[in-house]
Amino acid sequence: MSATITSGKKKLKLVGTRPVRPDGVPKVTGLARFGADYSLPGMLWGKILRSPHAHARIRSIDTSKAQALPGVKAVITSADLPEQEFEYVGPERVAVNFWHMTRNIMAREKVLYEGHAVAAVAAISRTVADEALRLIKVDYEVLPHVINVEEAMQPDAPLLFEDMITRGVEPAPNKPSNISKRIELKIGDLEAGFAAADEIVEGSFKTAPVHQGYIEPQACLARFDPDGQAELWASSQGHFVIRALTARLLGMDIGNLRVYPAEIGGGFGGKNVPYVEPVALALSRKSGHPVKIVMSREEVFKACGPAPGSSMTVRIGVRKDGKIVAADGLFKFQAGAVPGSPVMNACMCAFSPYDIPNVRTVGYDVVCNRPKTAAYRAPGSPISAYAVENVIDMVAARIGMDPLRFRLENIARPGTPTVSGPKHTHEGFAETIQALMQHPGYTAPLGKNQGRGFASGYWFNNGGESSAAVHVNEDGTVLVATGSADLSGTRASIALMAAETLGIDYDKVRPIVADTASIGYSHISAGSRTTFATGIAVVDACKKVIGDLCARAAMIWDVNAEDVVWEDGCARCTGNKAGECEPLSLKAIAAKRSVTGGPIVAEVSVNAGGVAPGFATEFCDVEVDPETGAVKVLRFVAAQDVGRAIHPAYVEGQIQGGAAQGIGWALNEEYIYDEAGRLTNAGFLDYRVPVASDLPRIEAVLVEVLNPNHPFGAKGVGEANIVPSLAAVANAVSRAIGRRMTELPMSPPKILKAVNGEQ
Amino acid sequence: MTKNHVTATVNGDVVEFLCETHQTLLEVLRDELGLTGTKEGCGTGDCGACSVTIDGRLMCSCLVLGVEADGKAIQTIEGMAVGTALHSLQRKFLEHAALQCGICTPGILIAARSLLERNPDPTEEEVRYWLAGNLCRCTGYHKIVDAVLDAAREIRGG
Amino acid sequence: MNSENHTRHGSQVTGVKAPARVVFTGDFSDRYTGGVKEFEIEAKNLRGVIKTLDELYPGLGEHLEKETTVAIDGEIHEVGYYQPVRPGCEIFFIPKIEGG
Repeated sequence: MSATITSGKKKLKLVGTRPVRPDGVPKVTGLARFGADYSLPGMLWGKILRSPHAHARIRSIDTSKAQALPGVKAVITSADLPEQEFEYVGPERVAVNFWHMTRNIMAREKVLYEGHAVAAVAAISRTVADEALRLIKVDYEVLPHVINVEEAMQPDAPLLFEDMITRGVEPAPNKPSNISKRIELKIGDLEAGFAAADEIVEGSFKTAPVHQGYIEPQACLARFDPDGQAELWASSQGHFVIRALTARLLGMDIGNLRVYPAEIGGGFGGKNVPYVEPVALALSRKSGHPVKIVMSREEVFKACGPAPGSSMTVRIGVRKDGKIVAADGLFKFQAGAVPGSPVMNACMCAFSPYDIPNVRTVGYDVVCNRPKTAAYRAPGSPISAYAVENVIDMVAARIGMDPLRFRLENIARPGTPTVSGPKHTHEGFAETIQALMQHPGYTAPLGKNQGRGFASGYWFNNGGESSAAVHVNEDGTVLVATGSADLSGTRASIALMAAETLGIDYDKVRPIVADTASIGYSHISAGSRTTFATGIAVVDACKKVIGDLCARAAMIWDVNAEDVVWEDGCARCTGNKAGECEPLSLKAIAAKRSVTGGPIVAEVSVNAGGVAPGFATEFCDVEVDPETGAVKVLRFVAAQDVGRAIHPAYVEGQIQGGAAQGIGWALNEEYIYDEAGRLTNAGFLDYRVPVASDLPRIEAVLVEVLNPNHPFGAKGVGEANIVPSLAAVANAVSRAIGRRMTELPMSPPKILKAVNGEQ
Repeated sequence: MTKNHVTATVNGDVVEFLCETHQTLLEVLRDELGLTGTKEGCGTGDCGACSVTIDGRLMCSCLVLGVEADGKAIQTIEGMAVGTALHSLQRKFLEHAALQCGICTPGILIAARSLLERNPDPTEEEVRYWLAGNLCRCTGYHKIVDAVLDAAREIRGG
Repeated sequence: MNSENHTRHGSQVTGVKAPARVVFTGDFSDRYTGGVKEFEIEAKNLRGVIKTLDELYPGLGEHLEKETTVAIDGEIHEVGYYQPVRPGCEIFFIPKIEGG
């Protein structure tokens, strides 16, 4: 079912095996506690009032009747949150313009999307809270709205911000627009490149916005004490980032907020930022009681950040012999209500799989009346890859070259420049293509109405700050604490890496995710960084512990520290006294910790660099029903360079999950708005994600080209697998029906139109 | 408003609780009885995270009122293991890494057990169609199907 | 490489031979350096590079620290002061990227 292809291997005992995850039993018995599962005595229920309009000025908010309702303990509006400075700071996609962020958490002058939070109440029961919301009177001046990215870019489009002047354009425009930013990256000489091409293929593509679709709605429990100290139990992808952003939004010191990581029921990037946490804390601050807020599914769709919709054009020039000589991409992305779509990522990733000397990518970040986008699994890259990989497919067909062979001929290798400038440094891309070429399915015959589609995709992966603490318990068992939220089984990988490094049994290592007051700063579990960066911190902390254990052994044996080595879980004496000294296990040394200096503990924090990017190549077989337009995915094979699979089952799981999301994105998922800009499919019935009967077995082929910058060679795996999957499905459908589909999702009505030759 | 007094059996134990007429069984299980293993994913019966069985019948507890539980026998995830002995399905899910974030897992386990009680030797297709009402966003269902088929084999004595 | 966009500067460190080629990707060159995107800088580590740039364009240093990721000979790193800079290496400051 899955194959592992490895080049270069160290002999390892535990890393690469498939033990049961240490946090598994609570998850299969219903005892694991997610964001909505916490309670405190005296707890109130919080509920949020949301705008029914896609775009409106707020003339006034009258909360008096709500405040007077018995059982209501606090009502808040944006007046209860401090104003923030208008300043673009840091990576824009993560929305650290706090002026925008506070308005997204709770509207001020205007509501910018249906579902935009306007006020909130805390009451003794959900029923009373609901009633209180109904008593809040908001006077709206409804404004025209705009949602589609092309429409939002028109000069006469309704403006979300009357003073928004497009950044990145010289000279700056003298009229405001909804275009927050223009980005351009280029290398080489585009004109000369296209002039040298024998064939030039261009295609325009559109994608609809999609949601990460995590099954757990956002939820938290907040407690703000009268002395200004606060606690938060929340599920998120990073409790330290939640702490920092929430504290800023409330105008409080970071040190006064302690965030406990609840188990998280899916994130995929959508839970990198707060939504309900600042509201719950503000309600708790005002009421003097703990406040719990749980979002409904409808609220999640209407107010939590999705991936952007897009409009794109890609042009590729190629020589007869198959060498790509020039590439040009235009990417227009919906940012949602405030700036910050991942269009920069898209511009940087779009052509990165390939060795192309002349490349330009242009991106537009466009605001429109829907929720602000949030990260979604390799944010931006699956979307640009959809366009690029379609054109790659078209070019291969035009010059009569096999699609995988064409990609392999042009694949990036170490030394190949990227459009943002730096040269690629890691191997692994070509290997994924080669892995598929060796797969029996590659040449399996296809039947009527069936098609096979190929695609490759690139994602940077992230490094960054992680902390890990290793404590040797008195009986030789080991605690490993990190600050990395565990979305998908990383505690198992952490335990494997720690046990391998220390040379002890997997079951003797207990990994936990510690809260913000109990471990050093750790960045979000996103960007495929956890096994990489937190793994480095864990291994470094274990090595520090080993150093300490050896020093203790030296004391016990009364030898020099240099005469002690750590091997197979024991301190061993080298040098003159080697024969006299029996090896000392971790357990034996732990028993002697008091007389050798006290507890054996090490904590390490890193800002990990040397990140290896993620790369995947995939193929998909589909069958299209010409009468209904329904698409059946018959087969899906994904080869990803994972560096080294620490726990292969969870690595396969990432690949299978990413592919499944890509299939949904390609075939069915989209936000459907009515003419008033209201979402009509804010639930899982009509926002149709793949179900078990929609999907085939998804074959994960693990290609292992070791990453020299990680102690076990691991590369981030979570995201790269989704990048090619939209295009793999799209190319398959296009080949099955003999017509190029240029819009996602390729839902049955659209396919029928294409099959029947309509436009 | 006056609450309703309800008596039911949950995981084999008799329980009594008070609930408002409009409260769902899901809310009651979680907020009145403290059994938070059953999850709310959508509140509209589309995701299956709130799956329980009521008198042996698989249902979404978000679509059942608390008052409707009166006199019924409800099984939730908390009752799946017998004492410390995990059910085959629970063990196989762990062995096969059939869960990642785990939020859908309680619902899927309840649904899968219900399937195996009716059909001890399902085909892969039967498993997939039975579980079509349980959404999972993390796994792509691949390892879930493997785990269910393997548990079925074990329960049959294979 | 356009000579208008390319300037050479040294830090105070002596004995360093071939300068590093430092390039900006992204539009912050418009904001801070009047469009100059490429530099040759002699330094032993990133701190030296950032210091030199900040001396030329006050405020640029803080921006580079907060908003960029650095690629040194293609290998991507978080911006860290003591990241070594080998003689003749290529340094790109690229916009910070974050995943999901």
